[in-house]
Amino acid sequence: MHEVSIAQSILDTAVAECLRADFRRINSISLRIGRSSGVNIPSLVTAFDIVKADTIAAGATLVCEEVPVRGHCLDCNSDFDAESELITSCPACNGARFRICGGRELDIMEIDVD
Amino acid sequence: MKLRIVKRLLEANERIAEENRRLLRENGVFTINLMSAPGAGKTSLLVRTIEALMDKVSIGVIEGDITGTDDAERIDALGVPVVQLNTEGACHLDAGMIREALEDIPLGGIELLFIENVGNLVCPAEFNVGEDVKAMVLSVTEGDDKPLKYPLMFRESGVLVINKTDLLPHTDVDMDKIRRSALSINPGLRIFEVSCRTGTGLTEWTDYLGALSVGTGMY
Repeated sequence: MHEVSIAQSILDTAVAECLRADFRRINSISLRIGRSSGVNIPSLVTAFDIVKADTIAAGATLVCEEVPVRGHCLDCNSDFDAESELITSCPACNGARFRICGGRELDIMEIDVD
Repeated sequence: MKLRIVKRLLEANERIAEENRRLLRENGVFTINLMSAPGAGKTSLLVRTIEALMDKVSIGVIEGDITGTDDAERIDALGVPVVQLNTEGACHLDAGMIREALEDIPLGGIELLFIENVGNLVCPAEFNVGEDVKAMVLSVTEGDDKPLKYPLMFRESGVLVINKTDLLPHTDVDMDKIRRSALSINPGLRIFEVSCRTGTGLTEWTDYLGALSVGTGMY
């Protein structure tokens, strides 16, 4: 539901970085989006297409890499990937003592500019 | 030409939330971010809570709504400081909105601050605003499937208040299932069962709040 404001901050950040490095046009923006970041990628792409109009990113595309939820088990010391944060035990040893340590990323990694 | 920049987009909100938290703690304010779906009874719970505690604890309220001032008027009628925030369409409160609202609240005279978030079971859970604890309200008429359907809010909250228990005889809701599924997502969740309409269970909730806000060495 909040993809428009997120698309706007992606745009603002990318435009500022582009101009700061003395370039004039943004061709693409690469993002890492965690599976439990709460961001719906198709909605984000649609929202970005709306907010980018009449800016130096008007021709830009979003390149979205989805990042899985990552966990670390305190019992067996393994690192694991999960579909969601909704797990109740470690997939390796079935222990209940684990930490969720990734999956909420919402990062701009790089922009392609001219 | 590729520019490698690596920026965390939610970082700005986290930074402001941390500033809010520091300001509130310096002023000795304990802050609760109150969240729920629309109509679960956040404002009713607030009214009942203020009535029970206002002689013992000084309370302030920030009301977040998409539009309108109904909630702030209900709180204002009780004579406690209240600020109404209108998000003009945004589905949640963020730390920047709270930073502005804090300028209009007399922090020095407040021990317990409630931030009533926009009614929404999804987005508010994703934005820290500088609170000490997130508390959520679930009304029994919403159904016992909600913890597993909207897990993030149940995971982020420290407290779950199950409201409208007076309606239980008229529903097929399984209270045990709500508790079990909520605790499977968040084993540390503190659960209260109340009816704001009849007053049942409210004493346990207000005792808990009273203990938090009069300095139990929480910070």
